[in-house]
Amino acid sequence: MAETKAKLPWIEKYRPKSLKDMAIPSAKSSGHKVNLAEELTNFVRNFFIEIKKINEINKEIRNHNRNATEKDQKEEIRLSFEKSAILLEGKPGIGKTSIVYALANDLNMDVIETNASDTRTRDALERKLNETTKSRGIMDFAKESRQKLILIDEVDGIYGTKDRGAVPTILNLIETTQFPIILCSNEFKQGLQSLYQKIKKVEVQPLSKLEAIKIASRVLKNEKISGISSGEIEAIVEKNGGDLRAVINDLQAIAKGSDFPDVVLLNNLHRDSIEEIFSLIRELFQDVKTLKEARNLTDRSDVDYNFLYKWVSENLPSFMHVNSDLANAWENLSLADEIFGRIRKNMYWGLLPYFYDLFAGGVTLSKKESDSRKGFVRIKNPQYFSSTTLNSAEKSLLEKINRKYNIPQDELMQDFLPFLQVLSSSSRKHQKIISDWFELDTKEKKMLKSD
Amino acid sequence: MINEIPIWRIKYLPYNLDQICGREQLRNRLKGIIEKANFPHMLFVGTEGIGKTTIASLFAREFLGKYYDANLKIIHANVPLTEEERAQARSDAYVSTTKIGSIAGKTVTMPAFVQVKVKPFVQVKVMDAPFKILIVKNFDALGKNQQGFRRLMETYGSNCRMILITTKISGVIDPIVSRCQVFLVPQVDLTSFGKLITSIAKKESLILDEKTIEVLYKASGGKISKAIDFLQLSTISNKTVTLNDIYISLQKFQKGIVRSLLLVIFKGDFKKAREISRNILATYKYSAQELFTYLLLELHKLPLSTNVRASVINMIAEADIRAIDGQDNDIQVSNLLSKLCLYSEYL
Ligand SMILES: Nc1ncnc2c1ncn2[C@@H]1O[C@H](COP(=O)(O)OP(=O)(O)OP(=O)(O)O)[C@@H](O)[C@H]1O
Ligand SMILES: [Mg+2]
Repeated sequence: MAETKAKLPWIEKYRPKSLKDMAIPSAKSSGHKVNLAEELTNFVRNFFIEIKKINEINKEIRNHNRNATEKDQKEEIRLSFEKSAILLEGKPGIGKTSIVYALANDLNMDVIETNASDTRTRDALERKLNETTKSRGIMDFAKESRQKLILIDEVDGIYGTKDRGAVPTILNLIETTQFPIILCSNEFKQGLQSLYQKIKKVEVQPLSKLEAIKIASRVLKNEKISGISSGEIEAIVEKNGGDLRAVINDLQAIAKGSDFPDVVLLNNLHRDSIEEIFSLIRELFQDVKTLKEARNLTDRSDVDYNFLYKWVSENLPSFMHVNSDLANAWENLSLADEIFGRIRKNMYWGLLPYFYDLFAGGVTLSKKESDSRKGFVRIKNPQYFSSTTLNSAEKSLLEKINRKYNIPQDELMQDFLPFLQVLSSSSRKHQKIISDWFELDTKEKKMLKSD
Repeated sequence: MINEIPIWRIKYLPYNLDQICGREQLRNRLKGIIEKANFPHMLFVGTEGIGKTTIASLFAREFLGKYYDANLKIIHANVPLTEEERAQARSDAYVSTTKIGSIAGKTVTMPAFVQVKVKPFVQVKVMDAPFKILIVKNFDALGKNQQGFRRLMETYGSNCRMILITTKISGVIDPIVSRCQVFLVPQVDLTSFGKLITSIAKKESLILDEKTIEVLYKASGGKISKAIDFLQLSTISNKTVTLNDIYISLQKFQKGIVRSLLLVIFKGDFKKAREISRNILATYKYSAQELFTYLLLELHKLPLSTNVRASVINMIAEADIRAIDGQDNDIQVSNLLSKLCLYSEYL
């Protein structure tokens, strides 16, 4: 047992088992502060009280219906959405999943969990959840068995835009459930609106710096690690901005006898929300009509400009197709890039407004001839290499090479194959040695000849 | 002779952590982890081609010792699923027609990648070792499918640790970064690079001087396998490697490729031209200015009228000047390409 415990990643080892062990993050619901532990405990307790009443009433209704004529039939009643489900929304690593498990543990309940890694079909979801929720007949008798709590974790992740089937499933589940449902999510998702509107939402705030430091120190003490100054602990906490999981991960890494993690470097890395950039790029290319509008748009966003203009560069060809438009747009973008370079080099911050106007308005307003694509345009991440699909000859060559030398396909195509081609074209002898060593057949040998 | 590996980059592959060139600090951290026999999920961040995967897999092998075979898996997130894998995912996703509801009888998307490639591995219990290790290359390429890793990393965390590899941390969603210890994998430094190249030269009985090594370092952008490729090409006819040999071997690469770029430009196909130029920049680590030089060289060989030639030179010169202060090679090159494409009817 101790053996396995030592093998746990610390974030699991230190996942709080009880509400009493954990720092309860502060929380808000419809604008008011709430005590999260109390809120959830009450929600669960209330649920069972209410559902019991409802079940009794429904039993009577069913009895009544059995003897009543068709037009005297009564409909069974249901618990309201708000009393059946609650949504916890908040940043990663602040204790959402943990608090649900801790609560269940304290109340001596089992958790039935579904999350973003599960098959996202209505069928699968129903199968997993219905096993426990719909079988009220049996459950009514099995009083002594442990009560259950349903956790739908990472709803924002489970439902990509295409998984429409899942929202009705969840709504239906909430309507008919015999167990309280808690949902967790990192951020608001448009596609989930119909769900969000009906249930109670609690915003979970990141832990305070003080709380996080307390927990970090406790972990260090428990692991008998000394030599990390309080200043360093504070730096780690600060860097991770309330993400306790990241704090604990960092601690585990330092404890490995390694030196201080790349705190400073990491602080400089940008992690802007991809979603925000997506919609910004779309608006920029599809809606903006004047320089001023473009300017307002970039001003309003929190996305680092340093980063934003690369997105513009990546996506420009998806919105413009006519060469004359493209030439104008690139003229402006390349000038923006040059100006940006000068700003950085010489600290000419006064040039910044030109930079903004050129890369945003200057680029998008170059669209004169190209038809406006109003529909949905897929936004691409700035990136230089995309993977290509191989033809059959290339595939068989890759396979042969991989028997001797493990190389992924994109590196083979971009890097290794051109080299092999030059090497084997240098002499017949080389060509023979190479194809012999990789045991290539005639077709594959042909690919070593560059065109 | 038959056993001799004819490709140097393969012949001189490192086979344990100690043989990794340079990156002392990172290596020591990883060795420390092996000693403690425990680590959290890790995220390796670093530019393309500098050895993240090599380091990660050597680490994993050393960590797992003789049990590595059954307990280690490397998957490439940017390689599309095969037909069979997709069929498997589809059959899992088919919603039976006996179900009532609007989507009955249809297939629904699901995280096929996670379902097919990841779950089967992480769910099967580890054998003999403390836990399994899953290495995911190009993790950022998963896009939205990254979501599927969140709880997976937690629930199966004690059975399987993951090493996620990416060239850009901005492409990895926050909840995943939160679940990992981040390691920045730096480029190899010139001194260690020099030591490695010198030792290869010794084994292959080559003669080369320091300046040549430096050029090799620059030309390969610190990518070791690339550098060894250049070295091998430079020695085809001669055991003494001079700067000139290196340049010639570099040029052999360039010729064909720059030509193919020009052809596309003549057709006025900007999208395609951009794709090719990006490939060139990525593969050969040229700066925008180097690419301009090669373009100019190739253009000179073409039969163009004086006027046209003058305009083209003008465009390249303009682009070249702008690239001096510009920050982003790709933007500066794209700018030139767009001008040339527009002008293509005269070419
Ligand atoms: N309030 C807290 N008190 C003590 N430990 C915490 C707390 N919050 C987080 N932790 C630590 O961080 C780890 C991750 O927390 P948890 O899984 O609950 O985050 P989450 O909010 O569900 O994140 P995500 O949105 O990424 O799923 C826990 O295992 C625990 O070690
Ligand atoms: Mg969670």
